[in-house]
Amino acid sequence: MALSITRTVTLREDDHRPLSLATLRRLYAYTRPHARTRNILIALVLLRAMHLPMLSWAAAAVISGPIAARDIDGVYQGTLGFVALALWAAVTFYYRARNAHELGEAVIHDMRADIMRHVFAMPIGFFQRQRVGSLISRLTSDLEAVRVGVKDVAFVGTVQLGTMLGSAVLMALYDLRLFLVVVALVPVLTWLVRRAQGALLAAHRASHESYSRVAATVAESIAGNRVTQSLGRGAVNSEAFAEQIELHGALNVNSARRAAVLLPTLELNGQIFLATLVALGGYRALHADIEFAVLVQFFFLTALFFNAIPILGTQYNQALTAMSGVERVFDLLDKQPPWRDAADAREIGAIAGHVRFESLSFGYDPKRLVLHGLDLDVLPGQTVALVGHTGSGKSSVLNLVSKFYPATSGRILIDGIDLASVRADSLRRQVGIVTQSNFLFGGTVLDNVRIGRPDASEADILEAARKLDVLDLIEALPRGWRTQLGERGLGLSLGQRQIVCFTRAMLADPRLLLLDEATSAVDVETERRLQRALAHLLAGRTSFIVAHRLSTVRHADLLLVMEDGRIVERGTHDELTSYDSRFLELLNSEGH
Amino acid sequence: MTTSAGNGRVLGRLLGIAWEHRARCALILIVQVLLFGLSVLGFGWTGVAMDVIRGALDAAAPAPRWPWGIAPPGGLSALQTVCGIAGAIIVLALARTGLSVASGFLIGDLVHGELVPKIRARVYEKLQDLSFRFYDKNDSGALFNRVTSDVQHLRSFIDGVLIQSLVVLLALLVYGSYMLALHPGLTAACLASTPVLALITVRYSRGVLPAHAQMRDRFDHLVLGFSESVHGVQVVKGFAAERTFLGDLLQRNGDVRDSQRSIFNQLSRYIASVDLLVQLNVAVLLLYGGLLVARGTLTVGQLMVFAGMLAQLTMHVTTMATIVNTLQESLIGASRVFEVLDTAIEVESPAHPVDVPLVGQIRFERVSFRYGDQDAVHELDLELRAGERVALFGTAGAGKSTLLSLIPRYYDPQQGRVLIDGIDVRQLELAKLRQGTAFVFQESFLFSNTVAANIAFSAPDATEAQIERAARLACAHEFIEGLPEGYQTLLGELATNLSGGQRQRLALARALVRDPRILLLDDPTSALDAETSREVFRALDSACHGRTTVIATHRPQLLARADRVLVMERGRIVQQGTHDELLARDGLYRRVHLDELSGWAEKAS
Repeated sequence: MALSITRTVTLREDDHRPLSLATLRRLYAYTRPHARTRNILIALVLLRAMHLPMLSWAAAAVISGPIAARDIDGVYQGTLGFVALALWAAVTFYYRARNAHELGEAVIHDMRADIMRHVFAMPIGFFQRQRVGSLISRLTSDLEAVRVGVKDVAFVGTVQLGTMLGSAVLMALYDLRLFLVVVALVPVLTWLVRRAQGALLAAHRASHESYSRVAATVAESIAGNRVTQSLGRGAVNSEAFAEQIELHGALNVNSARRAAVLLPTLELNGQIFLATLVALGGYRALHADIEFAVLVQFFFLTALFFNAIPILGTQYNQALTAMSGVERVFDLLDKQPPWRDAADAREIGAIAGHVRFESLSFGYDPKRLVLHGLDLDVLPGQTVALVGHTGSGKSSVLNLVSKFYPATSGRILIDGIDLASVRADSLRRQVGIVTQSNFLFGGTVLDNVRIGRPDASEADILEAARKLDVLDLIEALPRGWRTQLGERGLGLSLGQRQIVCFTRAMLADPRLLLLDEATSAVDVETERRLQRALAHLLAGRTSFIVAHRLSTVRHADLLLVMEDGRIVERGTHDELTSYDSRFLELLNSEGH
Repeated sequence: MTTSAGNGRVLGRLLGIAWEHRARCALILIVQVLLFGLSVLGFGWTGVAMDVIRGALDAAAPAPRWPWGIAPPGGLSALQTVCGIAGAIIVLALARTGLSVASGFLIGDLVHGELVPKIRARVYEKLQDLSFRFYDKNDSGALFNRVTSDVQHLRSFIDGVLIQSLVVLLALLVYGSYMLALHPGLTAACLASTPVLALITVRYSRGVLPAHAQMRDRFDHLVLGFSESVHGVQVVKGFAAERTFLGDLLQRNGDVRDSQRSIFNQLSRYIASVDLLVQLNVAVLLLYGGLLVARGTLTVGQLMVFAGMLAQLTMHVTTMATIVNTLQESLIGASRVFEVLDTAIEVESPAHPVDVPLVGQIRFERVSFRYGDQDAVHELDLELRAGERVALFGTAGAGKSTLLSLIPRYYDPQQGRVLIDGIDVRQLELAKLRQGTAFVFQESFLFSNTVAANIAFSAPDATEAQIERAARLACAHEFIEGLPEGYQTLLGELATNLSGGQRQRLALARALVRDPRILLLDDPTSALDAETSREVFRALDSACHGRTTVIATHRPQLLARADRVLVMERGRIVQQGTHDELLARDGLYRRVHLDELSGWAEKAS
């Protein structure tokens, strides 16, 4: 038990789904904006499907005709005809391939844009229940499957099918009886292909699942390497991994072996047919039942006919994979937002920042309330500090004031306007948010600050930092404002990140500031600068702060002590420390 | 991008790896030669069958020519000969099927059964031992790729490049020599376009490379932007910046599509030209071959044999595009893998370690340590008694974490030495040293495994009783029992989530399971809020008992409980004493505490 490094719980998503006409129709609708390309493409595909059997037929006709008859002029003319046909086929092929690729890309470009628009339109609650990884899979691997579906299955598949039909027609015209022998082999071949591919698929799946276990082990071993080394477990891990990787290798060998059986088996069929052709065709040719030319034609056409079968088999499987990708994408696109602004919601207009709660209740799940009937009146410019244990409802208050979630019952009024009747984005343009994690994006410090107000000039940005008195701190960064941050703000210390986030909020110059204080300690000097910056940031705006610092609490105009979703005490710091309050109890319990 | 000289070295090493598997590779190639031989024979006999039939129908047709002179005994009728050939074709086909399957098995076994597991295990083992400094420098996504996709690319050099190109060469040799034997002039004419084919193939794969690189960059850029905005959705929505972000992403989406366009054009042009060349070869065959048949130098059957072989050959030659691509990818992947394998292990176990049970006395003798050119610990002297409980206090960057890291040798000091019980830590066996000096980090990484397996991480053979004892010491037993499946509860992304305080107590239990003499804690409550920190304080009290404990912290509760507090500034110890003594004295410690804590203290008391 203890020998394994990780135990993965995999939530498997179906990787194959049956073909569904409704889904196909919806996918087809995506080609509508590119109807011209699509129609040209369909024409080219049909043309290409005819070209392949024509080329084989032409080659066979030249051999069995003028060549066999030793007609030198005929050979010249035949070859010339063949070359002309080949040129035509090549030009068609070029345009077919290019259009198919471009149409496939255009469709997934549009779908990707739809996904991104859809996701961005979702309210914040959606993201709490969604794994980022699965959203990214929609955008990457699922759409890749769609691309293959459009480009290969739809068009290559059609070409192959057309080729098969074309050569079948030609063969039937040349000699029906011999053709029937060919047809008789088809079910055998199809059965073989399906069987082998079924087994191959199962083997692929097994090694795919085992790979996700290997990947999880590797990822965790790297993330947890310091722990491993600190506990001297490296050798044990290496041994466990070697065992796991060997097991994974065995599954891969199994699936490689199954794949190795498939193609030769198909080739064997082609050869058996060749032998049949030689014996049966030879018998009939010798008895003058058929002409020699027919034999030559069959020699060329059957190759074309049989080659198409494994290709179509592969394409059928790809179609199923594509189908599951398409449906997952559509499932996402069909997901309704858990709530949205009322249809008649209006712009809130410029606000002063007077916030009022009227018996406000809220539950992320309406059946389980986390806030119970809050009443509150905050005047413009006031600072409200929320204190209380984890889970007492402090963050939920912030989520409601910013309209990240709608109230379950009761109302929030800003400047007397019920938030239920306004558009969330018009409110949020006047709200500044500093999250506990101090989230920053990859890019420069400047880019990150500018998110607060995208149209701000560089002078505006410098001014915001100056107002917070942090300009020197930002300019002291390795490359000042142009310091490049890694993914999620990598490269800055916690204190520096907070300063950038404060500046971002300052630039937005919001009427309403919502701040979830970071709990982690920073060093003393930075702490002092942060507190000063915070005081500047709060000046003149209505603020709600989930407070973890004494200085914040002391400077607040109003202190709310929360317990189990209720405000149990309210007042100023001085008021609440003047008697035997819950607030004092809280302070003591935290050991300050 | 690696330089060409670097590429040469990587290539040499890859060939070295191939040489280790030379027997298997040779076997694979021998099977291939046999396959080609059988295929030639099959074609040859089919052609003969055609000629036999034609000969029977048309007395003027030239007599069939048997491949390699293997002719049936005379006196057989045409029909008997044809049926005999049909039988032979089936026998040949069966043999070929067997051999192809065998060849597939051989390659699969070599690649997936041997090469990949072996290299992966080697890279993984190396990663286990690389220093903290290495992990400071490399991002985890890149390291993940070293073990996974880069290894796959490396091995593709063996099967996708080396074996494949030898197969193409063998195909050229076998088919080519048979065709030459049939008719040198016709062979030359039909193969005349092969160099052209090879040339446009190589040119295409080179030409499309920058476009591919650009496309991949743009696509990564798109995915990264999307994932970041989902992670930071609170900020995006909080500032009503959806439109800006979405606009940016849609722009990136369009960029991806645009860079695909040039790839598609090149690709389509390439496949269409290959297709045309193949058909032109057939045309050459029809024309020149047709004239030869007309003159009676060649039979119709032989012409068809030519056609078949030509198709086979072109198929092999066109795989060169894939081979060239694979070569480039494999060189990049391999150089990344080799980079990890070649990284020096900075901290290594001594060849002849001193093996004594640890008691727990620690001494620093004029220890200096620098990261780059930055002094983290400067000529530090320090002596800790066994069983003493010491707290380190100081601002960020004062050297607390570094001091802690030097004890279990996460780094080795550039000057001076660290001794445990009078023995230089560099003389102790590394695994034993680390198991004897348990470390708890600021934020504890727990593995996706059961609670019990996480606690027993350093002691996989620990009994249930030992695990429970460690959990009790870390005050974690009660909450573990309250979890859905107690000690068998799975942790991780999709499993039970623990609070920060619970995680830290599990980390403490994990550190205690081997009952170490020395316990090192690097600001274990810094990521916790005051409330959850309290759970950890209690746990620490019971855990520290009877162990030498060094804890870096800001929390007054922890500082007050220490036997001694060391105040650090710029890599030096500037003050020491008990919490009360230090508060009574003027200095950094008092200044900071007055600033930070007086407010709470005065109001709360």
